Amino acid sequence: MPSWIVHATTEMSRALELFRDEIIELLPRLRRFARAITRNPHDADDLVQVTVERALRRFDQWQDEARLESWMFGIMRNAWIDEVRARVRRDRVHAPAEAGENVGTQSTDVEAIALQSALEQLPDEQRMAVGLVLIEGFSYKEAAAVLEVPIGTLTSRLARARDALAVILDEGQP
Amino acid sequence: MTISDEILMAYVDEELDAPARAAVEQAIAADPELARRVARQRALRETLRAAFDGVLREPVPERLVDAARNSPAPSSATRQPGVSDLAQARAAQTARRVRPRWSWSQWSAIAASVAIGAIIAHFMVSSRDAAPFTEVDGKLVARAELADALTNHLASTQAPDSETRIGVSFRSRSGDFCRTFVTRADRGLAGLACREGDQWTLEALARAQPEAGGTYGTASSALPGAVLQALQEQIAGEPLDADAEAAAKANGWRAK
Repeated sequence: MPSWIVHATTEMSRALELFRDEIIELLPRLRRFARAITRNPHDADDLVQVTVERALRRFDQWQDEARLESWMFGIMRNAWIDEVRARVRRDRVHAPAEAGENVGTQSTDVEAIALQSALEQLPDEQRMAVGLVLIEGFSYKEAAAVLEVPIGTLTSRLARARDALAVILDEGQP
Repeated sequence: MTISDEILMAYVDEELDAPARAAVEQAIAADPELARRVARQRALRETLRAAFDGVLREPVPERLVDAARNSPAPSSATRQPGVSDLAQARAAQTARRVRPRWSWSQWSAIAASVAIGAIIAHFMVSSRDAAPFTEVDGKLVARAELADALTNHLASTQAPDSETRIGVSFRSRSGDFCRTFVTRADRGLAGLACREGDQWTLEALARAQPEAGGTYGTASSALPGAVLQALQEQIAGEPLDADAEAAAKANGWRAK
């Protein structure tokens, strides 16, 4: 094999190592987003693991058109949709899934816990919008791209979610 | 001025442009009720963030780091072009991006080159018919004008304005005849082709380096590093002189 090919191949394994490092750096944020869209920490970490595995399998598809985090959050979103569908199928056979465990974080702040349990009651698509924009700080444009919806759809999900959450907040503040 | 909920939300999410933001701020200053709505929206955002920020400070479970370190990724042999080097990709983030639409593996060994991935992609995606090369049995083979020039041009007699300029001709270590070339068309390509049977197999391919005047394809164009390196790898002895080149051509570039 000519040495320039060897060289290029070496470059690519270096690129893969870099990619792995960047994923590791992103893990805390992936876990945070997973907490926002799942309902308990075990599901969240399982979801992160599935996301990481999928991302690496698709290393050859990453185009750097978006930031790595956008790409990976998109993979996580799809993985969660797959998981929810699989659960719906399982639940037809087995007992219904338990309600949210309300243990998203170790926070002892009453308001935070109230908000979290309110978030758990929102539909998945609204939780994802909230997770991306309000928690992860994505722009509307980036969040809409991750969720594969038009910006108008994103903002209306966001508005509905906010209304629902604001009610909870107001209830906690007589 | 009335501010819709939608505008207010966009304001809190910092999605408004400067004039719209200024208008909202002005309205807020004049309207305590509006100010209260904004404060509530901000409080919601902050409380939410605070509720989830704790996750960032937790130690990441080892199994997740493990997954990132060790989960299988496509091997380099099946890598697609245009995505190969993240650092490079990032540096060229604003540059033209190539979306591969064919199976990379069919390009076999030559496909491992990062540099040529984008070139191949360019032709295969946008102008397959105009490509100066094609794929035969997993190899890139010269076709059309390029194949003609490789077979028929002599470095010593070629016209200064020809589409393809031949550089150095030489015998490779395996005894085959190889030639470097630079094309004028297609934004300038430079490469190294070796004779195999009755075809010219491309061993290296890169964008030609433009000369000071910004033109491509003249004999004095510097060969890109990848092509030079391939030349140095493959050449056995000295390049052919004019007589040897003519003799090789007369003999149909057959290795003896």
